[in-house]
Amino acid sequence: MKRILVVAGTLLLGAGAVMAQQQVAVEQDNLMRSQAKSMYGVILKMTKGEIPYDQKAVDAAIASLEADVAKIAKTFEVNPKQDVVNSHYGSSPKVWQNKADFDSKIPPVQKAIADVKGKITDVASLKAAYTAMNDRCNDCHETYRLKLK
Amino acid sequence: MLRRTISVFLVAVVAAFALYWWLTAPTALALPAPTRAPDLANGQELFNAGGCSSCHAVPNQPDRLKLGGGLALGSPFGTFYAPNISPDHTDGIGRWSEADFVNAVMRGISPEGTHYFPAFPYTSYHLAKVDDVRDLFAYLKTLPPVSGQVRDHDLPFPFNIRRNVGIWKLLFMNVRPFVPDAAHSAQWNRGAYLVNGFGHCAECHSPRNLLGGVIASQRFAGGPNPEGEGWVPNITQKGLGSWSEKDIADFLETGDMPEGDSASGSMRPVIKNLAQLKPEDRAAMAAYLKSLPVDGPTPPKRKPGGD
Repeated sequence: MKRILVVAGTLLLGAGAVMAQQQVAVEQDNLMRSQAKSMYGVILKMTKGEIPYDQKAVDAAIASLEADVAKIAKTFEVNPKQDVVNSHYGSSPKVWQNKADFDSKIPPVQKAIADVKGKITDVASLKAAYTAMNDRCNDCHETYRLKLK
Repeated sequence: MLRRTISVFLVAVVAAFALYWWLTAPTALALPAPTRAPDLANGQELFNAGGCSSCHAVPNQPDRLKLGGGLALGSPFGTFYAPNISPDHTDGIGRWSEADFVNAVMRGISPEGTHYFPAFPYTSYHLAKVDDVRDLFAYLKTLPPVSGQVRDHDLPFPFNIRRNVGIWKLLFMNVRPFVPDAAHSAQWNRGAYLVNGFGHCAECHSPRNLLGGVIASQRFAGGPNPEGEGWVPNITQKGLGSWSEKDIADFLETGDMPEGDSASGSMRPVIKNLAQLKPEDRAAMAAYLKSLPVDGPTPPKRKPGGD
């Protein structure tokens, strides 16, 4: 009886840990998706003329990016050791092998955002801001973001 | 009787070795005389199309023209280290002749007459026109020399035997030059030349067999990243069907995807190179890529879980 309890308990704990890790992966994925929404869903689309220029939406997107980027180091503290089920992209294990280097890529993104904040007034300045910010995103994605399928 | 067995055995060994030596001998390309002076602008264009900088630039520093090498390239056969191809006289290619360079790029043969490992994509570069490779050589000579030898490749036996690459070349490398397809436009043919030759897109965007040869029937269909993590996407119309020709050309310039994302991983340095190309060359590559058949290559099966 005791043995059954121990085995059942271990299994439950194990399942709980796996679920928790999936939860961590999902949180990390959601944080990056939120930034993608601002960067590509709003800003990139406006630079391409796919949606009309909208100052309020631009300012909101920049504010949201600023808040999201500030959370990256903390949200990526734990290695979930798994990818979000069925996701197309994931984190490279290198993030946690070189966490200090990974973290060092964040302040330049924050600086790029701070540099353009409040200075975007039209499509031309939005385009320049997009490139300046996206180049800094890429400095990290080049090494630490993985395409999974 | 025993003596006879031994002598038969010895003869067989010698014959086998002779056959191996003959099969694995590097065959150099006889270089025709140049028909014109080198065109440095064309050399620069092909340097960017060929992505030389992505592997040969010194890692972790911003200057993509410092070609001191050193980047580690993982593979199922071991780790390759990109050599120094700066014009440095001791550590780079400063003392190379034009014939040395053409044979390295188009045949994968070193000036000493040994095989290079196919981590160097001469399997694609062999399609290049000799004059284009000459222009590239002239351009490389204008770049700053970088001193410093790069460490040896880290390959376990038997993959570290260069002579074996001769067999590999017989199996997986053809040396037919690029022949334009008269059924297609000049733009499409330029794209086919850049994508299949200098661009060497298929080297990453195709699955490979157990010996590391590209599976011809699945060219451009993507597959597991040979460096170990993640997946290389299918760039036939099976994978890119929803992208217009202009979407593809824009992507090659900026890395921005029509579905609202931006290229990452090893594609990022590739975009840095392609962004420097003439717009008409990116458009040509896009025209060719857009024509890759939907029903052609079958994507290889993916392991469950996507890793």
